[in-house]
Amino acid sequence: MVAVKTVHPPISCSSSGSQCGQLVPVPKIGFVKLPSLSLRLNVGNYARLSLIQATEESTVAMTNGRAAVFSGENPPQMVTNGTAGNIVWHKSSVGKVHRQELLQQKGCVIWITGLSGSGKSTLACALCQALYSRGKLTYILDGDNVRHGLNRDLTFKSEDRAENIRRIGEVAKLFVDAGVICIASVISPYRRDRDACRALLPEGDFIEVFMDVPIEICEARDPKGLYKLARAGKIKGFTGVDDPYEPPLNCELALPPKGNSCASPSDMAETVISYLEEKGYLQA
Amino acid sequence: MVLLKAVRPAICSSSVFDGVPMDKVSFVKFPLPASSLSMRLTSGNNAKLSLVQATEEPSMPIANDCAAAISGENLHQIATNGKATNIVWHKSPIGKLDRQELLQQKGCVIWITGLSGSGKSTVACALCHALYSRGKLAYILDGDNVRHGLNRDLSFKAEDRAENIRRIGEVAKLFADAGIICIASVISPYRKDRDACRALLPEGDFVEVFLNVPLQICEARDPKGLYKLARAGKIKGFTGIDDPYEPPLNCELELPQKGNVCASPCEMAETLISYLEEKRYLQA
Repeated sequence: MVAVKTVHPPISCSSSGSQCGQLVPVPKIGFVKLPSLSLRLNVGNYARLSLIQATEESTVAMTNGRAAVFSGENPPQMVTNGTAGNIVWHKSSVGKVHRQELLQQKGCVIWITGLSGSGKSTLACALCQALYSRGKLTYILDGDNVRHGLNRDLTFKSEDRAENIRRIGEVAKLFVDAGVICIASVISPYRRDRDACRALLPEGDFIEVFMDVPIEICEARDPKGLYKLARAGKIKGFTGVDDPYEPPLNCELALPPKGNSCASPSDMAETVISYLEEKGYLQA
Repeated sequence: MVLLKAVRPAICSSSVFDGVPMDKVSFVKFPLPASSLSMRLTSGNNAKLSLVQATEEPSMPIANDCAAAISGENLHQIATNGKATNIVWHKSPIGKLDRQELLQQKGCVIWITGLSGSGKSTVACALCHALYSRGKLAYILDGDNVRHGLNRDLSFKAEDRAENIRRIGEVAKLFADAGIICIASVISPYRKDRDACRALLPEGDFVEVFLNVPLQICEARDPKGLYKLARAGKIKGFTGIDDPYEPPLNCELELPQKGNVCASPCEMAETLISYLEEKRYLQA
């Protein structure tokens, strides 16, 4: 274990560097050569100390002669700047890995796409329930609901549909970073918009689930009475009727599975759960 | 325990739904008033079954002869519509209370406001860490970071500042609903915009924290070199220099506290933790 002495940020008057009950000595030092940029000491159950926090969260840039929190973009300055006189002990910020450890799961987005009435919300609900019964934290971003809050300023014109999906994708990304299994239940009819959301996330964390239900069945269900209104011309640009739905070309899962077209929402949820288990998302 | 039989949605031909026998029923008289139509049977660790789900999440209205997920707004239709012949067993969606039970905490928003350089990100980080060491799940929405993702289409003009804050408020609301302690770290200079975010949340769930640090100290720190650029006229409309900061009139907490102006970020985080403990956010 490397013992490194530290300084406190100049703004604080405390001389003992008390950090939430753990005393760290704080004499001033000159330039310290580090064998590796990040030193982790396990203290207590979860608390970790790192000399340099590489994080996206803090964006305070380093300045000469002044202790500061270092952002993820600045570590190279730390190593090469010979005049950096003060190195700061700063608690490692809590990152995705820590949160996943706490939750015993890995964050990801289950992006459920399909026509209106294909069963997206129903599957989302069943999946949420099944995951909760396994002690997993999930959250549903339902297209309808988000349009009442975050996206209430958007219409159904195609550019606003794109913005709706973009914002949902960005919010899902935040949930994933928080360690949550985020279930997005949105028609998201345009391939380009879904692919843009996929590109926001690390490989594997975007799980596209296509509710492959023929329009005749969706329309027969017509759970919200929208197909009827669309056929009567009272809604324009309704997906499937007079606006296109572009099915995924390479989704992770298509439901219901071939050969089990009568799968219940619960059965389909179990299919998704098996996928998540297999890919290691139901453990830290 | 009331034994009720149920039917499957017409689209499926299976006669058993999750092990519950599926005979058709005609109109079922409920002994309970419409307001308590939700009957919960605990099955397994966490799973709950409700006959009728009163939820904001699915928004499908009831249609005659078509079993569907029943939303809260339609309970009245069920109670009064004599022709509704098919009632569906549908698992109750997981709600905020369930998630809070899982996480052993209550979701809320800690909204940290103050001038650039007042220490918002630093306190946010310290708070996040302190919560993590207590096994609590927190997530930071940092103004800078969100402007690289969700809000990357926004500038610093007044209307875009307002939209920036509005979107962060809406996202924080989603996180609080997910049961997460959401720490928003944003200058948020205009009182009207902060108050609008407060109004999105239930009473008590919006905890406004004012980092009351004089401009001179913030400018002396100048952690990102922005005050220097603003004084040189290279940044226009910089808060504190040539754009106003409107301090809160009724925030829940002001830091640093009077009589402890040298409080470290850790000490300030502990003040916040005491507040959260007192208000019972650190338990389900």
